[in-house]
Amino acid sequence: MNDHFIGKKSHFLIIMLLVLMWTSCKVEQVAPVPESNKDLTGTWKVLQATRNGTNLIPLFDFTQFSIIFNGSTGTYTLNNPVPFIELANGKYSLDNPQYPFTITFTATGGKAVPTAFNYPIINGSREIIMTFSPGCAQNTYVFTLTRSN
Amino acid sequence: MKVRLHIKGKNLWRLCTLIVLCIVLSCCYTIIASVDQPTTAVVGSNVNITVNVTNSCNSSGTAHFVFGFLTPVGWNTAQNAKVTYSSTKGNGNMVLIPSTVIAPNSNGVNWTTYMMNFFGLAGNLIADVQWTAYESDVPINYNNGDKINGTVNITFNNIGADGNPTLVKLAYVVANDQNGFTFDGNDGDSSPTSEYYNELITPCFQLTGGTGDLVDFCNPQLTTINPPKSLDNDIVTLTYNNNVTPTALAGASAVYLCATATLNDGTKVTVCNPSATTMLTETTATSGLYQLTFWPRKFFGLTATQTVVSMTYFITDKTGATQVGYGGGSSPFTYTFKCT
Repeated sequence: MNDHFIGKKSHFLIIMLLVLMWTSCKVEQVAPVPESNKDLTGTWKVLQATRNGTNLIPLFDFTQFSIIFNGSTGTYTLNNPVPFIELANGKYSLDNPQYPFTITFTATGGKAVPTAFNYPIINGSREIIMTFSPGCAQNTYVFTLTRSN
Repeated sequence: MKVRLHIKGKNLWRLCTLIVLCIVLSCCYTIIASVDQPTTAVVGSNVNITVNVTNSCNSSGTAHFVFGFLTPVGWNTAQNAKVTYSSTKGNGNMVLIPSTVIAPNSNGVNWTTYMMNFFGLAGNLIADVQWTAYESDVPINYNNGDKINGTVNITFNNIGADGNPTLVKLAYVVANDQNGFTFDGNDGDSSPTSEYYNELITPCFQLTGGTGDLVDFCNPQLTTINPPKSLDNDIVTLTYNNNVTPTALAGASAVYLCATATLNDGTKVTVCNPSATTMLTETTATSGLYQLTFWPRKFFGLTATQTVVSMTYFITDKTGATQVGYGGGSSPFTYTFKCT
């Protein structure tokens, strides 16, 4: 009789163990964090500038030039223009708000000008790197912009 | 009973050395024996050039013959030059090497970049020349002891496509697509050279006629503009070299730009007032090189619809009274804003 009781007890424990194992397993739901939209809003100034690989910073005064992006209106404003993708104010857009590789400038009354766009984080802050040719196509300029505010 | 294997170290080293030598010497040494080219030609004419090449092979193998040709960028050599070869191993066309092909021993760059990195401007003073790279349309088979003679034949149509009278040192390079620009260090063996490549720079070639400004790659100039080809919306650097020839500005403490722009509407704008805007800064103390980097549109105060077609200019002293022009004389320097 004791053996029978012990046998029943063992079966009960095994069943309980299986139930516990069954209920302890569940699929964990991991919610992906969405990539944030890239917001260029702010005033940007030239940090580095090259022409066909030559450093222009010691040769040309870029300190007065700035470009103000307004993310809510999609407009940009140039202050004290230098040779750039556009010489007049207008609108801008990114090819992909989360993963942009191209920025398009459209000066007021002008045509859209797409330009290669890079938006890395350098030393903890965003920079904009743009490559363009404002004059002859074989002359390539690379501007690195940094936020001034 | 143990069986002992006897390998004599001396023989083993000999065998290894032979294998290494076979690998290292498995190609042909190439030399440009001479180049037959005219000393002068007229812009827009057709020019024939013959490059005489000899090869000396130390083993058997197969390789494409590679040829490089240095010319001004504005000549559009890839489009305007037809290149063929004839040799004791056969005749054929030299075809452009695609820019996607990585040259051997080049640290991962294509042939034209490799040529520019290795041979540079070939003595030209303005960085507006380029190498154009060709290879034989078929691989060339060679055998140990082969002495291969051949010619590279260039037919240059519409030479000087940019319309500029030009003085330039044309340069030529021969190599193969297996070794690149390497050598084996075996000077004194049966081969005439230890390099698997060879370069020949010719004396200054003169191109006359044309409607553009004279571009002199050969001789130091009093002034140069960088980039050599630019528009008024480029940032340009004007360099004045006070060392080229004695001028009225010798010993000047500061020099200035006095320029007159011709605009697209035919009007002329002159900026000729010694000031911070027009001052050329000496690159280093006593260098004699003075530079001014400026944006022509802003320098000449253009409106949105105006463009600068060309400019004439002098270099002056602080008073503006002493002016130096082309060749140190009284005629102004000239520069045309264009991209070709």
